[in-house]
Amino acid sequence: MNTFLLPDLGEGLPEAEIISWHVGPGDHVSADAPLVSVETAKAVVEVPSPFSGRVIKLHANAGDFVKTGGALVDFELEDATDPGHDDPAVANTDAGTVVGTMPVGDTVMVEQAVAGNSRSRPGRIRATPAVRALAKRLSVDIESVAASGTRGQVTSGDVDAAARSPTATASNADSEGWETLRGLRRAMAHSMTRANAEICHATVFDDADIDEWDTGEDVTIRLLRAICSGVEAEPALNAQFDAASMRRRRLPQLDIGIAVDTPNGLIVPVMRDVRAATLASRRQELQQLKKAAAGRELAPRELHGAGITLSNFGMLAGRYARVVVVPPGVAILGAGAIRRDAVAAGTELAVRRILPLSLSFDHRCITGAESCRFLAAAIADLQRQN
Amino acid sequence: MPGPVATTEMAELTLIDAVTAALAWELGHDNTVIVMGEDVGVNGGVFRATDGLQQKYGEDRVIDTPLAEAMIAGMAVGMAAEGLKPVAEIQFMGFIYPAVDQLINHAARLRNRTRGRLSCPMVLRAPFGGGIHAPEHHSESTEAMFAHMPGLRVVIPSSPARAYGLLLAAIRDPDPVVFLEPKRIYRLARQEVADDGAALPLDVCYTLREGEDVTLVTWGAMTHETLQAADALGGEGVSAEVIDVATISPLDIDTILESVARTGRLVIVHEAARNCGVGAEIAALVAEHGIYDLKAPVQRVAGFDTIMPLYQLEMDYLPGVARILDAVRVTLED
Repeated sequence: MNTFLLPDLGEGLPEAEIISWHVGPGDHVSADAPLVSVETAKAVVEVPSPFSGRVIKLHANAGDFVKTGGALVDFELEDATDPGHDDPAVANTDAGTVVGTMPVGDTVMVEQAVAGNSRSRPGRIRATPAVRALAKRLSVDIESVAASGTRGQVTSGDVDAAARSPTATASNADSEGWETLRGLRRAMAHSMTRANAEICHATVFDDADIDEWDTGEDVTIRLLRAICSGVEAEPALNAQFDAASMRRRRLPQLDIGIAVDTPNGLIVPVMRDVRAATLASRRQELQQLKKAAAGRELAPRELHGAGITLSNFGMLAGRYARVVVVPPGVAILGAGAIRRDAVAAGTELAVRRILPLSLSFDHRCITGAESCRFLAAAIADLQRQN
Repeated sequence: MPGPVATTEMAELTLIDAVTAALAWELGHDNTVIVMGEDVGVNGGVFRATDGLQQKYGEDRVIDTPLAEAMIAGMAVGMAAEGLKPVAEIQFMGFIYPAVDQLINHAARLRNRTRGRLSCPMVLRAPFGGGIHAPEHHSESTEAMFAHMPGLRVVIPSSPARAYGLLLAAIRDPDPVVFLEPKRIYRLARQEVADDGAALPLDVCYTLREGEDVTLVTWGAMTHETLQAADALGGEGVSAEVIDVATISPLDIDTILESVARTGRLVIVHEAARNCGVGAEIAALVAEHGIYDLKAPVQRVAGFDTIMPLYQLEMDYLPGVARILDAVRVTLED
């Protein structure tokens, strides 16, 4: 049993008058529930129960005066094993406050408080939440973006630039050097996988003797013109093929894909409506197309629609190659490095300028004869003096 | 100054015990220290903060005053100007307002007014905050009012060790300090405190727990719930740094900025109403100087912008662990 003594309710006042009881003998009462209203010299105060348990006896009736520290209520405690409550001293403990109830704990705090901050500021990415959100939207890894802000912060412009130039985001290699492919290089991986899985490639190699060309001849324009002649001889190579529906579509005009190498990967913009008669005037257009491709300023529609593609890889090195057709296109003409070679001229050996050609085609919809007919016409065109 | 030889005695003290110990130490070591207030002498104080001090140091050093807060503060200003170090107690923060005139118009500006000839080395102690089921006027947290006043230093301990060390520093500081004691945790826990007269630095935050994912900034009684929230977050794999601001004015924003630079996320927890609270000042400073480090909007967990309710509802008013966790989760949203 525990006896609750009337606490000091107001700055050392000697006694309080019981106004009304909120509990009676036998009642169960929870800790903090109102027990009794008492009037001191200052106010009517509600005294909450300090314990949870059953009320055994009230020591005073309404209207009685109880001295501070005098017995008020006897309790039978709910949890008799609780050491705090079991301690008879509890009833005599100073409540520690003149109003309300002072929460008392017996835990012993252990803390390792450090004045200020023990660690230095690490070199973290600085960016506004808005720029971080932008980076997230553009799938840019902000940790790899070079910061240009005057206070070392990554700006929205930095994020934009990184989004346009996947090399900036390609530096997200893990500790073993593996990096996730992004942008053009990722697109190349996808399209080449698809090409290899779907297309039945066949490749024909041959040479064009271009020794008669004037100096300064535009190789790319000549190759485009050769494709015009080849398609004129064999329209089957100016087509698209849809393997899923087993349908082939002959294209109404000659749109030629131009393979452009960029630091970020392969890109193939399409030059529209190529005609032999007007090709000479389209040199500037070709340059703009290549520049736009390198700057990634092309809209997706500018990359679609070609049946045949030109890959002038010989500007770097290489003679012949099994160039790869990308669906839904059906053919690709590769031009290797121009070389001087010893060739038979009649019964003599002669040194001639030779342009090696590689023609890959999708054998599912183009026959070998069609491809060779195309190649013959293209070579004839290339060997013609301009 | 001659005084007892310092002895290092470790004792397990509650926060209120630590206040008493600090007052006793300084009364014993500095004859200019005066403790004064309503019932601080014979009675020992409404929360027993000054229990036994008058018996030990006499009626001239521990003075019972009339119930007149303006007069208590005014006397303290006069004593301080004349070379004493008064430590005045206001029984509850709700009764501090008559003293505010003396604090703002005199204590805070005495050094400036006299071009440095006089300072005002006084401490005004007041228990503050809710959670003890007290009647009206006894539960508010209006620390931001004092933090807004240039010339006043506002210090709030959150553990027995800081109550001891910061109160000693406040008494020894040559300028006025409003020392606000979180009464809800006066007796909530004990801590080993060396009663050796060693002060702790003012004007710095105390990092209570180091973390990497989110910075929880708080002070006073809310450190209790904030540390509980940090524990809960730890169980979810979120590493929370917990900073006790301790001196809310002048504010040690550098410690907070350094933490935010590491975590990128900031949740401020205070018991006071949200509107114009000290949390608003911290959020503004982080916006000015730390915006580039933020990964998420700053969150404030605060009391509501209402009159502090009476005790049946007061625990609904006070921010609890659940509200802190909700705010942290907002900062962790991707």
